[in-house]
Amino acid sequence: MQTNFEHFALGSMLGKPDMPPKDNGSLCFGAPWQRQAFGMALALSKQGVFEWDDFRSELISVIAAWEVTHDKSDPSWDYYEIWLTVLETMVERCGLTGATETL
Amino acid sequence: MERFEYPNDREAVNAARARALEALLIEKGVITSDTVDKIMSIFATEMGPFNGAKLVARAWVDPAFKNLLAEDTMAAVEEMGFATKGAGAEGEHMRAAINTPGVHNLIICTLCSCYPWPVLGLPPYWYKDPSFRARAAREPRKVLGEFGLNIDPGKEIKTWDSSAQIRWFVVPERPAGTDGFSEEQLAALVTPEAMMGVAIVKPPGI
Repeated sequence: MQTNFEHFALGSMLGKPDMPPKDNGSLCFGAPWQRQAFGMALALSKQGVFEWDDFRSELISVIAAWEVTHDKSDPSWDYYEIWLTVLETMVERCGLTGATETL
Repeated sequence: MERFEYPNDREAVNAARARALEALLIEKGVITSDTVDKIMSIFATEMGPFNGAKLVARAWVDPAFKNLLAEDTMAAVEEMGFATKGAGAEGEHMRAAINTPGVHNLIICTLCSCYPWPVLGLPPYWYKDPSFRARAAREPRKVLGEFGLNIDPGKEIKTWDSSAQIRWFVVPERPAGTDGFSEEQLAALVTPEAMMGVAIVKPPGI
Protein backbone atom coordinates (compact mmCIF):
# COMPACT_ATOMS: atom_id res chain seq x y z
CA MET A 1 0.00 0.00 0.00
CA GLN A 2 1.20 3.39 -0.95
CA THR A 3 -1.22 5.14 1.38
CA ASN A 4 0.54 7.21 2.38
CA PHE A 5 1.83 8.87 5.43
CA GLU A 6 1.72 12.27 3.78
CA HIS A 7 -2.00 12.02 3.15
CA PHE A 8 -2.65 10.76 6.63
CA ALA A 9 -0.55 13.49 8.21
CA LEU A 10 -2.25 16.36 6.45
CA GLY A 11 -5.66 14.75 6.57
CA SER A 12 -5.49 14.61 10.33
CA MET A 13 -4.87 18.38 10.49
CA LEU A 14 -7.65 19.32 8.18
CA GLY A 15 -9.98 21.83 9.73
CA LYS A 16 -8.01 21.78 12.98
CA PRO A 17 -6.21 24.73 14.54
CA ASP A 18 -2.84 23.39 13.47
CA MET A 19 -3.65 23.16 9.75
CA PRO A 20 -0.80 24.72 7.77
CA PRO A 21 -1.49 27.70 5.53
CA LYS A 22 -2.68 26.84 2.05
CA ASP A 23 -3.12 28.62 -1.19
CA ASN A 24 -5.38 27.32 -3.92
CA GLY A 25 -5.17 23.73 -2.78
CA SER A 26 -1.43 23.63 -2.24
CA LEU A 27 0.75 24.16 0.77
CA CYS A 28 2.34 27.56 0.71
CA PHE A 29 5.66 28.46 2.21
CA GLY A 30 6.85 31.99 2.72
CA ALA A 31 10.51 31.01 2.89
CA PRO A 32 12.72 27.98 2.29
CA TRP A 33 13.23 27.42 6.03
CA GLN A 34 9.47 26.90 6.41
CA ARG A 35 9.47 24.15 3.83
CA GLN A 36 12.56 22.68 5.46
CA ALA A 37 10.91 22.65 8.88
CA PHE A 38 7.72 21.16 7.48
CA GLY A 39 9.57 18.45 5.58
CA MET A 40 11.76 17.50 8.55
CA ALA A 41 8.78 17.05 10.85
CA LEU A 42 7.02 14.82 8.35
CA ALA A 43 10.16 12.82 7.68
CA LEU A 44 10.93 12.26 11.37
CA SER A 45 7.42 11.14 12.13
CA LYS A 46 7.31 8.94 9.05
CA GLN A 47 10.46 7.26 10.32
CA GLY A 48 8.95 6.79 13.74
CA VAL A 49 11.22 9.17 15.61
CA PHE A 50 8.08 10.59 17.16
CA GLU A 51 4.37 10.02 16.72
CA TRP A 52 2.56 12.43 14.45
CA ASP A 53 -0.14 12.82 17.09
CA ASP A 54 2.42 13.80 19.69
CA PHE A 55 3.91 16.38 17.38
CA ARG A 56 0.44 17.72 16.69
CA SER A 57 -0.64 17.96 20.30
CA GLU A 58 2.49 19.93 21.08
CA LEU A 59 1.83 22.14 18.06
CA ILE A 60 -1.79 22.70 19.06
CA SER A 61 -0.85 23.54 22.61
CA VAL A 62 1.82 26.08 21.57
CA ILE A 63 -0.62 27.66 19.12
CA ALA A 64 -3.17 27.85 21.94
CA ALA A 65 -0.58 29.45 24.22
CA TRP A 66 0.15 32.05 21.55
CA GLU A 67 -3.53 32.81 21.11
CA VAL A 68 -4.03 33.38 24.82
CA THR A 69 -1.49 36.19 24.78
CA HIS A 70 -2.11 37.64 21.32
CA ASP A 71 -4.90 39.00 19.25
CA LYS A 72 -5.84 36.75 16.35
CA SER A 73 -4.95 39.47 13.89
CA ASP A 74 -1.55 40.14 15.47
CA PRO A 75 0.86 40.48 12.53
CA SER A 76 3.63 38.82 14.50
CA TRP A 77 1.83 35.48 14.01
CA ASP A 78 4.12 33.08 12.21
CA TYR A 79 2.75 29.57 11.85
CA TYR A 80 6.00 28.00 10.75
CA GLU A 81 8.02 29.65 13.48
CA ILE A 82 5.81 27.88 15.99
CA TRP A 83 6.14 24.72 13.91
CA LEU A 84 9.94 25.01 14.07
CA THR A 85 9.91 25.57 17.83
CA VAL A 86 7.73 22.49 18.31
CA LEU A 87 9.98 20.47 16.06
CA GLU A 88 13.03 21.48 18.12
CA THR A 89 11.17 20.50 21.27
CA MET A 90 10.24 17.10 19.87
CA VAL A 91 13.75 16.39 18.65
CA GLU A 92 15.13 17.31 22.02
CA ARG A 93 12.59 15.16 23.81
CA CYS A 94 13.64 12.21 21.70
CA GLY A 95 17.15 12.65 23.00
CA LEU A 96 18.61 13.56 19.63
CA THR A 97 20.11 16.77 20.85
CA GLY A 98 22.15 17.86 23.84
CA ALA A 99 21.18 20.79 26.03
CA THR A 100 24.08 22.81 24.62
CA GLU A 101 22.53 22.76 21.18
CA THR A 102 19.33 24.52 22.07
CA LEU A 103 19.15 28.13 21.02
CA MET B 1 13.75 35.90 26.64
CA GLU B 2 10.00 35.71 26.89
CA ARG B 3 8.27 32.91 25.14
CA PHE B 4 6.88 34.94 22.24
CA GLU B 5 9.31 37.79 22.00
CA TYR B 6 10.95 38.22 18.65
CA PRO B 7 14.36 39.36 17.55
CA ASN B 8 14.57 41.92 14.75
CA ASP B 9 16.28 39.55 12.40
CA ARG B 10 13.56 36.99 12.93
CA GLU B 11 13.62 35.47 9.45
CA ALA B 12 17.38 35.02 9.51
CA VAL B 13 17.20 33.49 12.98
CA ASN B 14 14.51 31.04 11.92
CA ALA B 15 16.43 30.09 8.81
CA ALA B 16 19.52 29.48 10.92
CA ARG B 17 17.54 27.37 13.40
CA ALA B 18 16.12 25.22 10.63
CA ARG B 19 19.56 24.81 9.09
CA ALA B 20 21.10 23.91 12.44
CA LEU B 21 18.41 21.36 13.14
CA GLU B 22 18.77 19.74 9.75
CA ALA B 23 22.55 19.63 10.13
CA LEU B 24 22.18 17.97 13.53
CA LEU B 25 19.77 15.35 12.20
CA ILE B 26 22.06 14.61 9.28
CA GLU B 27 25.04 14.33 11.60
CA LYS B 28 23.15 11.90 13.83
CA GLY B 29 22.25 9.86 10.77
CA VAL B 30 18.51 10.35 11.23
CA ILE B 31 18.00 11.96 7.84
CA THR B 32 20.14 12.67 4.82
CA SER B 33 20.59 15.86 2.89
CA ASP B 34 17.91 14.95 0.37
CA THR B 35 15.26 13.74 2.84
CA VAL B 36 13.35 17.00 2.89
CA ASP B 37 13.39 17.34 -0.89
CA LYS B 38 12.19 13.78 -1.28
CA ILE B 39 9.26 14.13 1.05
CA MET B 40 8.35 17.53 -0.32
CA SER B 41 8.38 16.33 -3.90
CA ILE B 42 5.25 14.36 -3.05
CA PHE B 43 3.46 17.61 -2.39
CA ALA B 44 4.91 19.31 -5.43
CA THR B 45 4.17 16.61 -7.96
CA GLU B 46 1.73 14.07 -6.60
CA MET B 47 -0.75 15.89 -4.46
CA GLY B 48 -2.04 18.92 -6.15
CA PRO B 49 -4.82 20.65 -7.95
CA PHE B 50 -2.46 21.06 -10.90
CA ASN B 51 -3.11 17.40 -11.75
CA GLY B 52 -6.85 17.85 -11.78
CA ALA B 53 -6.53 21.07 -13.75
CA LYS B 54 -4.58 19.21 -16.45
CA LEU B 55 -7.30 16.56 -16.68
CA VAL B 56 -9.98 19.20 -17.02
CA ALA B 57 -8.08 21.14 -19.67
CA ARG B 58 -7.49 17.99 -21.71
CA ALA B 59 -11.18 17.11 -21.47
CA TRP B 60 -12.06 20.58 -22.78
CA VAL B 61 -9.92 20.27 -25.89
CA ASP B 62 -10.37 16.55 -26.58
CA PRO B 63 -13.93 15.17 -26.65
CA ALA B 64 -12.68 11.57 -26.79
CA PHE B 65 -10.68 12.16 -23.63
CA LYS B 66 -13.70 13.71 -21.98
CA ASN B 67 -15.72 10.59 -22.78
CA LEU B 68 -13.01 8.39 -21.42
CA LEU B 69 -12.84 10.50 -18.28
CA ALA B 70 -16.56 10.00 -17.77
CA GLU B 71 -16.61 6.29 -18.66
CA ASP B 72 -13.32 5.08 -17.23
CA THR B 73 -11.76 7.81 -15.15
CA MET B 74 -8.77 5.78 -14.06
CA ALA B 75 -7.85 4.94 -17.64
CA ALA B 76 -7.96 8.63 -18.48
CA VAL B 77 -5.86 9.50 -15.44
CA GLU B 78 -3.43 6.79 -16.43
CA GLU B 79 -3.06 8.35 -19.87
CA MET B 80 -1.85 11.56 -18.27
CA GLY B 81 1.00 9.70 -16.61
CA PHE B 82 0.73 11.31 -13.18
CA ALA B 83 3.05 10.13 -10.48
CA THR B 84 0.08 8.85 -8.49
CA LYS B 85 -1.01 6.19 -10.92
CA GLY B 86 -0.47 2.57 -10.08
CA ALA B 87 -1.92 -0.08 -7.85
CA GLY B 88 -2.69 0.89 -4.30
CA ALA B 89 -2.20 4.59 -4.78
CA GLU B 90 -4.54 6.95 -3.04
CA GLY B 91 -7.04 8.15 -5.57
CA GLU B 92 -7.07 4.84 -7.34
CA HIS B 93 -10.82 4.83 -7.62
CA MET B 94 -11.39 8.34 -8.77
CA ARG B 95 -14.45 9.16 -10.78
CA ALA B 96 -15.18 12.31 -12.73
CA ALA B 97 -18.60 13.98 -12.63
CA ILE B 98 -18.90 16.06 -15.78
CA ASN B 99 -20.77 19.34 -15.69
CA THR B 100 -23.06 20.00 -18.66
CA PRO B 101 -25.42 22.82 -19.62
CA GLY B 102 -28.16 20.88 -17.81
CA VAL B 103 -26.33 19.46 -14.78
CA HIS B 104 -24.09 20.95 -12.13
CA ASN B 105 -22.18 18.49 -9.96
CA LEU B 106 -21.06 18.94 -6.38
CA ILE B 107 -18.85 16.57 -4.42
CA ILE B 108 -18.88 16.00 -0.70
CA CYS B 109 -17.34 13.34 1.48
CA THR B 110 -17.68 12.13 4.98
CA LEU B 111 -14.04 11.36 5.68
CA CYS B 112 -11.11 13.38 4.53
CA SER B 113 -9.50 10.09 3.59
CA CYS B 114 -11.81 9.89 0.60
CA TYR B 115 -10.94 13.29 -0.75
CA PRO B 116 -9.21 12.89 -4.11
CA TRP B 117 -5.91 14.48 -3.08
CA PRO B 118 -4.02 13.51 -6.20
CA VAL B 119 -6.18 15.71 -8.38
CA LEU B 120 -7.48 18.31 -5.97
CA GLY B 121 -4.63 18.90 -3.56
CA LEU B 122 -5.45 20.02 -0.05
CA PRO B 123 -9.10 20.55 0.67
CA PRO B 124 -10.26 23.83 2.14
CA TYR B 125 -10.91 23.88 5.87
CA TRP B 126 -14.69 23.94 5.55
CA TYR B 127 -14.76 20.79 3.49
CA LYS B 128 -14.48 18.55 6.51
CA ASP B 129 -17.08 20.48 8.41
CA PRO B 130 -20.04 18.19 9.18
CA SER B 131 -22.60 20.93 8.70
CA PHE B 132 -21.26 21.71 5.23
CA ARG B 133 -21.58 18.08 4.23
CA ALA B 134 -25.01 17.61 5.71
CA ARG B 135 -26.38 20.79 4.19
CA ALA B 136 -24.72 20.23 0.81
CA ALA B 137 -26.50 16.90 0.60
CA ARG B 138 -29.85 18.31 1.73
CA GLU B 139 -29.99 21.74 0.11
CA PRO B 140 -27.15 22.02 -2.39
CA ARG B 141 -28.66 24.97 -4.24
CA LYS B 142 -28.80 27.05 -1.10
CA VAL B 143 -25.30 26.07 0.01
CA LEU B 144 -23.88 26.92 -3.41
CA GLY B 145 -25.67 30.26 -3.23
CA GLU B 146 -23.81 30.96 -0.02
CA PHE B 147 -20.60 30.31 -1.94
CA GLY B 148 -21.70 33.00 -4.37
CA LEU B 149 -22.60 30.43 -6.98
CA ASN B 150 -26.18 30.84 -8.11
CA ILE B 151 -27.11 27.92 -10.27
CA ASP B 152 -29.80 28.51 -12.87
CA PRO B 153 -33.11 27.16 -11.46
CA GLY B 154 -33.54 25.12 -14.63
CA LYS B 155 -30.28 23.30 -14.02
CA GLU B 156 -30.20 20.09 -12.04
CA ILE B 157 -27.69 19.84 -9.18
CA LYS B 158 -26.28 16.41 -8.48
CA THR B 159 -24.42 15.74 -5.25
CA TRP B 160 -21.84 12.97 -5.16
CA ASP B 161 -20.73 11.55 -1.85
CA SER B 162 -17.19 10.26 -2.02
CA SER B 163 -16.34 7.12 -0.15
CA ALA B 164 -13.31 4.97 0.42
CA GLN B 165 -14.30 3.19 -2.79
CA ILE B 166 -15.01 6.10 -5.08
CA ARG B 167 -13.50 9.55 -4.89
CA TRP B 168 -15.35 12.04 -7.01
CA PHE B 169 -14.15 15.21 -8.65
CA VAL B 170 -15.98 17.58 -10.93
CA VAL B 171 -15.08 18.48 -14.50
CA PRO B 172 -16.41 22.03 -14.77
CA GLU B 173 -17.65 23.57 -18.00
CA ARG B 174 -15.22 25.37 -20.22
CA PRO B 175 -15.71 29.11 -19.86
CA ALA B 176 -16.54 31.40 -22.76
CA GLY B 177 -13.79 33.49 -24.27
CA THR B 178 -11.20 30.73 -24.29
CA ASP B 179 -11.24 29.80 -27.99
CA GLY B 180 -7.77 28.98 -29.18
CA PHE B 181 -6.38 28.62 -25.66
CA SER B 182 -3.69 25.99 -25.18
CA GLU B 183 -4.21 23.21 -22.66
CA GLU B 184 -1.72 24.91 -20.41
CA GLN B 185 -3.56 28.23 -20.56
CA LEU B 186 -6.83 26.45 -19.88
CA ALA B 187 -5.42 24.48 -16.94
CA ALA B 188 -4.33 27.74 -15.32
CA LEU B 189 -7.99 28.80 -15.11
CA VAL B 190 -9.15 25.71 -13.20
CA THR B 191 -9.39 26.03 -9.43
CA PRO B 192 -9.78 23.29 -6.80
CA GLU B 193 -13.13 24.84 -5.87
CA ALA B 194 -14.35 24.41 -9.45
CA MET B 195 -13.32 20.74 -9.31
CA MET B 196 -15.30 20.36 -6.09
CA GLY B 197 -18.32 21.97 -7.69
CA VAL B 198 -18.54 24.94 -5.33
CA ALA B 199 -17.41 27.30 -8.08
CA ILE B 200 -17.40 27.50 -11.84
CA VAL B 201 -14.41 28.34 -13.98
CA LYS B 202 -14.55 32.02 -14.78
CA PRO B 203 -13.67 33.39 -18.18
CA PRO B 204 -10.14 34.78 -18.32
CA GLY B 205 -9.68 38.27 -16.97
CA ILE B 206 -12.74 38.20 -14.72
